[in-house]
Amino acid sequence: MLHRLALLLWLLPVLVLLTTSGCSRSAPSNETLIYAQASDPKTLDPANTDIAESVHVITNVFDTLVTYDDLRAELVPSLAERWNISDDGKTWTFTLRDDVIFHDGTQFDSAAVKTTFERLTAKEHPLLFDQARPYQSAYAMIEKIDTPDARTVVFQLKSPSAIFLTNLAMFPASIVSPTALKAKGKEFADAPVGTGPFRVVKWNRDQQLVLQSFDKHWRGAPAIKNLIIVPVKDNTTRIQRLMRGEVQLVDSLAPQDYDAVKKTPLVLLEQTGMNVSYLTMQMDKPPLNQLKVRQAIALAIDKPTLMKIGFDGHAEPAVSMVPPGMWGHDPSLVDHPFDVAKAKELMQEAAKEGNFTLPIQLNLSVMSQARPYLPQPTSMAGFLKDSLREIGIEVTVTGRDVNEHFAHLMAGRHELGLAGWSSDNSDPDNFLYQLLDPDNISENGNNLSRFRDPKFHELLLAGQVEMNLAKRLPLYHEAQAIALRELPVVPLAHTQLRAVHAPRLTGFNLHPTGLIRLGKAKLTSEQPETKPGASP
Amino acid sequence: MIRYLGWRLLHAIVTVVVAVSLVFIAVRLLPGNPLLARFGQHPDLKQIEQLRAQYGWDQPIYIQLGQFFWQVLKTGDLGNSLARSHVSVNRELLQRIPATVELTMAACLIAFPLGITAGVAAAVWRNRWPDWLCTAGSLVGVSVPVFFLGICLRLIFSGLPTSQRLPADVFDFEPLTGLFLIDTLLRGRPELWLAAVQHLILPAMALATIPAAIIARITRAAMLDVLAADYLRTARAKGCSLWRSVWRHALPNAAVPVVNIAGLQVGLLLSGAVLTETVFDWPGMGTYIASAVLGDKDYVAVQAGAIVICILFVTMNLLLDLVFVWLDPRIRLGE
Repeated sequence: MLHRLALLLWLLPVLVLLTTSGCSRSAPSNETLIYAQASDPKTLDPANTDIAESVHVITNVFDTLVTYDDLRAELVPSLAERWNISDDGKTWTFTLRDDVIFHDGTQFDSAAVKTTFERLTAKEHPLLFDQARPYQSAYAMIEKIDTPDARTVVFQLKSPSAIFLTNLAMFPASIVSPTALKAKGKEFADAPVGTGPFRVVKWNRDQQLVLQSFDKHWRGAPAIKNLIIVPVKDNTTRIQRLMRGEVQLVDSLAPQDYDAVKKTPLVLLEQTGMNVSYLTMQMDKPPLNQLKVRQAIALAIDKPTLMKIGFDGHAEPAVSMVPPGMWGHDPSLVDHPFDVAKAKELMQEAAKEGNFTLPIQLNLSVMSQARPYLPQPTSMAGFLKDSLREIGIEVTVTGRDVNEHFAHLMAGRHELGLAGWSSDNSDPDNFLYQLLDPDNISENGNNLSRFRDPKFHELLLAGQVEMNLAKRLPLYHEAQAIALRELPVVPLAHTQLRAVHAPRLTGFNLHPTGLIRLGKAKLTSEQPETKPGASP
Repeated sequence: MIRYLGWRLLHAIVTVVVAVSLVFIAVRLLPGNPLLARFGQHPDLKQIEQLRAQYGWDQPIYIQLGQFFWQVLKTGDLGNSLARSHVSVNRELLQRIPATVELTMAACLIAFPLGITAGVAAAVWRNRWPDWLCTAGSLVGVSVPVFFLGICLRLIFSGLPTSQRLPADVFDFEPLTGLFLIDTLLRGRPELWLAAVQHLILPAMALATIPAAIIARITRAAMLDVLAADYLRTARAKGCSLWRSVWRHALPNAAVPVVNIAGLQVGLLLSGAVLTETVFDWPGMGTYIASAVLGDKDYVAVQAGAIVICILFVTMNLLLDLVFVWLDPRIRLGE
């Protein structure tokens, strides 16, 4: 009896396996879109996050006063119908739409806008439940917000700001429902209420986040009725699930999966991202204060080879910190060539002038974890080490946890450092001012190279207050030319954004800003012909 | 018995306190500032310092530890997550424990019969092909990394789902206990029960390999000792069949070390099978603690996870001791 029982127990898993492994899946629904992300969002409160997985959800749950055009990074009206700017550039008056309601049924009005921005800027706010506000500084120019009536909001700025409107299109400026904030308290972060095309229905942590179409959305109800967002950590698993029809959209592909995906009927979307990876050189530390040393380093880096080693060939070599295709980028800039002989000459000259002997020892700080703009930081560090040895620079590489790494760089404790930046908005100021202006030299400033150029600073300050785009553009072109000449950093690469989706998904494009907007997406009944044996 | 239980409980509490204290100190020695992660590209050092003070991290570590234990004793509250400051880790762990328990039970259902049967067969047919097969199988079982095994299982059983507990498009199902195999039946959703089994089978197989291999080795060794005993030879001489003597006489006498190792394995599996859960995106304690350590540096979540794991482990050991007393009357309480 006992051994029969043991046999049955032994066979049970096998029986289950045999009876269940052949079960077919039901036909996919046209109303339900399943989108696989690399991880679960942390919070859905726009004020408290800058994590991409959270942002992708927030973008579909909320609207902003102004937004980006569907295809380009150009600003268009959204919850604000129109706006006026005073002659001194300090008073911005927005007229709001009157046909907008929040998911909880309350009317969208100027009070909601005021609450949203006060949560972002006030030192303390009763409706702010987490003090970590990564984008607080982006709205620091706001001095006062007035609401003369329900449809009018007046922003009084401390000084004119050409980037204010762009910052209003960023996700932290998503308009939140004050009623829901009061009702839900800190739970708002798990079940937020906005005016966007989708409303949050349910969130099973680390399993699925269920959104449903908001039928009363001011742009009309989305075609997708149910939007389900699932976390799938492993890159290959995400693609496999897409191939099997379990999900219809994935992002954050590993470079090695691109070529495999191209062999399948899946649709691969590619878009140059608003990001840059770069080598920062701490100019307060000799010999990096010598232009010739920085020039030699720039000349010693073979960028085409670096693209293969650090990015598997899936990135664009960078000339400027401002990515190509973005407004403000100067396409006429010519990069420093790869010229080891010239680099060696410059190093020898620098050694005489600086009174040091070759080879010199420099430390290169690098983050331990991959970033979207630096998928393989350790390989890149190794390549740079080998490249610089050729010109008489012995590099020691020090890896750190990514947050510690940036704290180390911001404090200026590095000599050389690998860094990068993903833009928050579509303005060159976000790259040039944030990363290279002397105003941002501090313990938590992003000018890691300690670059202090009065002319450069003057150009950027002028750019921040110049409202006329035609006059603004040359200011940024000149600033980029200065950065290329003075070389506080060596721009390395701009990585591409990528997403893959099932062929039956239409009406979705990968936005240059990296936003995943699904309000206009549709699923058709066409079944893709999957190629047998295709697997990443 | 009560006195023995009292001593065991005291021993368990001391174990938990020491283990949690060690974890408490260890997480603070981890590289990386968990608060920096929350500010992304825009760290505000003033705010970070304010938050440090708010969490009490500017105090000496022994004061922090004392305050933590006092808070746990007073309210049972293990604190709020650092990565998701609005969420209590009690709630987060309670949501995940059932997933880990279900996976563990499924893995045990595979590992125990497989391991015991293989161990018995290896001992009965010593130095013949079942023995070699069992030895080689158990060696492979403990040697093959879970992530590699996960990839192999995915390839072999490509028709089975490889992540999560239910299909992603199922969103109208409300769990009751958190154990989906039970909840789906209680809710009258047999089609979801089948889906839950499909989702469970591969991670359970991956998780079962190491305990099955260890149990097989221990069973084999224990059975070899018992099979050589005089009373078994006598039983066979009196006409008792081979399998009757094995199952009725030998196996119960070989059970103590097997139960011991099996119980320890259950404790280990319940502690959160980090790798298996990660490979199969299983939303249990393992993935939660792994992401708290590796991703978010979430001290609070790690401490809370450590407490839960310690309590589970200590409880398993206590139950094991009681099972031994029941299994073998020669074992005297307190000896």
